[in-house]
Amino acid sequence: MATAEPILIADDIIAGYLPGVDILNGCSMEVAEGELIGIIGPNGAGKSTFLKALFGLVPIREGTVTLGGQDITNKRADELVRMGVGFVPQTNNVFPSLTIRENLEMGAFQASKGFQKQFDKIMDLFPDLASRHHQRAGSLSGGERQMVAMARALMMDPSVLLLDEPSAGLSPVRQDETFVRTREINKTGVTVIMVEQNARRCLQICDRGYVLDQGTSAYTATGQELLKDPKVIELYLGTLGA
Amino acid sequence: MTKRIDRRAIVRALIVFVVAALAVFAVSTIGSTAMADTPDAATAVAQTSAIHADAETTEAEVTVDDTAADAPGTNRIAQNVFNGLVFGLLLALASVGLSLIYGTTGLSNFAHGEQVSLGAMLAYFFATQQPVSLPLLPWEFVIGWPLWLAAIAAIVVAGGTGWLQDRFLWSKLRKRGVKMVQQMIVSIGLSLALLNLLQWWIGPDRLRVSIAIEERRQVGPIQLGDTTAVSIAISIAVLLAVAYFLLRTRLGRATRAVSDNPALAAASGIKVDAIIRLVWIMAASLAALGGILMALYDSGTKFDVGAKLLLLMFAAVTLGGLGQPFGALVGSLVIGVVVETSTLWLGPDLKYATALAILILVLLVRPQGILGRAERVG
Repeated sequence: MATAEPILIADDIIAGYLPGVDILNGCSMEVAEGELIGIIGPNGAGKSTFLKALFGLVPIREGTVTLGGQDITNKRADELVRMGVGFVPQTNNVFPSLTIRENLEMGAFQASKGFQKQFDKIMDLFPDLASRHHQRAGSLSGGERQMVAMARALMMDPSVLLLDEPSAGLSPVRQDETFVRTREINKTGVTVIMVEQNARRCLQICDRGYVLDQGTSAYTATGQELLKDPKVIELYLGTLGA
Repeated sequence: MTKRIDRRAIVRALIVFVVAALAVFAVSTIGSTAMADTPDAATAVAQTSAIHADAETTEAEVTVDDTAADAPGTNRIAQNVFNGLVFGLLLALASVGLSLIYGTTGLSNFAHGEQVSLGAMLAYFFATQQPVSLPLLPWEFVIGWPLWLAAIAAIVVAGGTGWLQDRFLWSKLRKRGVKMVQQMIVSIGLSLALLNLLQWWIGPDRLRVSIAIEERRQVGPIQLGDTTAVSIAISIAVLLAVAYFLLRTRLGRATRAVSDNPALAAASGIKVDAIIRLVWIMAASLAALGGILMALYDSGTKFDVGAKLLLLMFAAVTLGGLGQPFGALVGSLVIGVVVETSTLWLGPDLKYATALAILILVLLVRPQGILGRAERVG
C-alpha cells in the first residue's frame, strides 16, 4: 500500500472555525489509493475539524490539500462531491423526512441519469436497506441511519470516502457491523479516511493510522504498529493493551 | 405526575383564553352597539363594495361577503364552511411559500404579507383603466391589460422581487452568518418599509382589480360566483402542482432535503443556495397569486391586505407543522373554516381570535402541529 501513488495529500494545514482561533496547527497526511486510514487522538485534538477541512466545511487558512495532483484547498462541498470525495457526518447524517431511496437519490443528485443502476449496486452492499427502501429515514435507528448515510455517500462512486466517527453512539454489535462494513467498502477500491474515538477497533481494521494531538499529526504508522506502540497504548489505548 | 402537570397547564391555558375571549367579545359588543347608533355605520358597510372607498372603510375585511348566505335556498352553515374552504385555499397559496422559506432557511419572514399585497397591487397596476404611475416618476399612463395578462405579469414581477430579495439581501446575510433572530428583525423592518412603499405608490384606498360584477348561482345549498369558481380551480391546480413538484421531481426532493438538513444537502452535492433562491422565487410568486385571487374573491384589495393576513398565515404554518408545506395547506384550510364558521355563533370581531385559539388548542395536544412528525432520537 505504501508504495502506491498518493491520491490525497494534506500539507501543513492550519484551519479553524472562527477568525484568529486555529484548531489545526500544521496537520499533514498522505493517503495512497485504496488505503483505509484511521485518525485517532484525544478529545479536542482536531480530528473531526481535520476531516471537515479536507471536505471544505472548515476554512483552511494555510497549507494545501491535493486530490490526484489537483489542488482542492477550500473547494465547495458540492464541487468536491463532483470530483469524487464523499463525506459522512457524525450526526444528522440523513434526511429524516425523505425515504431511504430518496436519501440515496440525493446522494446522486449530480449524476441522476444512472441512478437506478447505482442504487441497485449500493443496495447489494446494504441488503438490509434494500427491502425497506420506502421507509422514512427519520424512523430508523442510529445504526440504520449510519448505513443510509454511508450508502448515500457512495452513490457518486467516490474515490475517497471521509467518515466522521461512524461508530459514535452505536451499541457494540452495531459498532462491529459498521467497522466490518467500512472494511468491505474499502475492499471495493474506495480510499477511506475515518476519524474514530474507538481507537483500538479502528487501528485493528485500518491499513495506517494517524495520531492527532493538539491540532498536529503526532505519529503515523500501520494500524498494527500503532496498536503495539507503548506511547500510543499509554496515551490513547489505556494500559490494558491489545 | 407529568400527566397531572400537563392537564393543569392545559386547563389554565383554556381558562385564560376563555376569559380573554369573553373580555374581547364584551368590548367588541359594546363598541358595535355604540357604532350602530350613529348613521355613518350603515354607510361605512355599504362603502365596502365601492371601487374606491373612503378611508372609513379601512375595516374592510379580507374575507367574503356574508350576504350570500342570507339568499333564499342557501344553507348558512354550508355556505360558511364553503367560504371557509375557499378562504383557506387562497390563504394556503400564501402560506405554502412562507412554510417553504422557513423550512429551507429557518427564517420566519414577516415581510411575506407584503408579497401578498404586492401581487394584488401589481395586478391592479397592470389591469386598471385608471391612470397609474411609478414611484418618483411624474408621468401617468394607462396600461389596462386584460386581467389574465395582468395577473401573469404581476406574478412574474413578484417572483422577480423574490429573486432580488434573496440575491441582494438574504443570501448576503446567510453568508455573513447573521443569526436567525437578527434576520427576523430585518424582515420586520422590510415588512414596514414595503408596507409604506406600497401605500405611497398605490395609495390608501380600497381598489378593485376587476370591475366585472360577479353573478352568483345557486349550487345545492350554497351560492357560487364564476370568479370564485375560477379562483378555486386555479388554487387547487397550483397547489397540486406545488405538491407534484415537491414529491415527484428531483428538484422538489432536493428542496425537501435542504429543508431537512442544509449542511448534509451541501455535503451530498446539492447547490443549497440555488435551491433557496428557487424557493424565494416560488414563495413570492405563490404569495402574489394568493393576493390576486383574494382581491378578486373579495371584490377589492388594499395596500395592507397582506399585513392583515400575516398572523393567519403564521397560524396556518404553525398549525400544520412548521416547515411542512403540506402542513401549511392543511393548517390554512382549518384556519379558513374556523374563521368563517365562527361567525355563526360568535361576533365577526372574534373570528381571527377563534382561529388563533384553535392554534393554541392543537399545539397543546400535538406540539409538532397537525402534519409535523416527531423524530426518533438515536
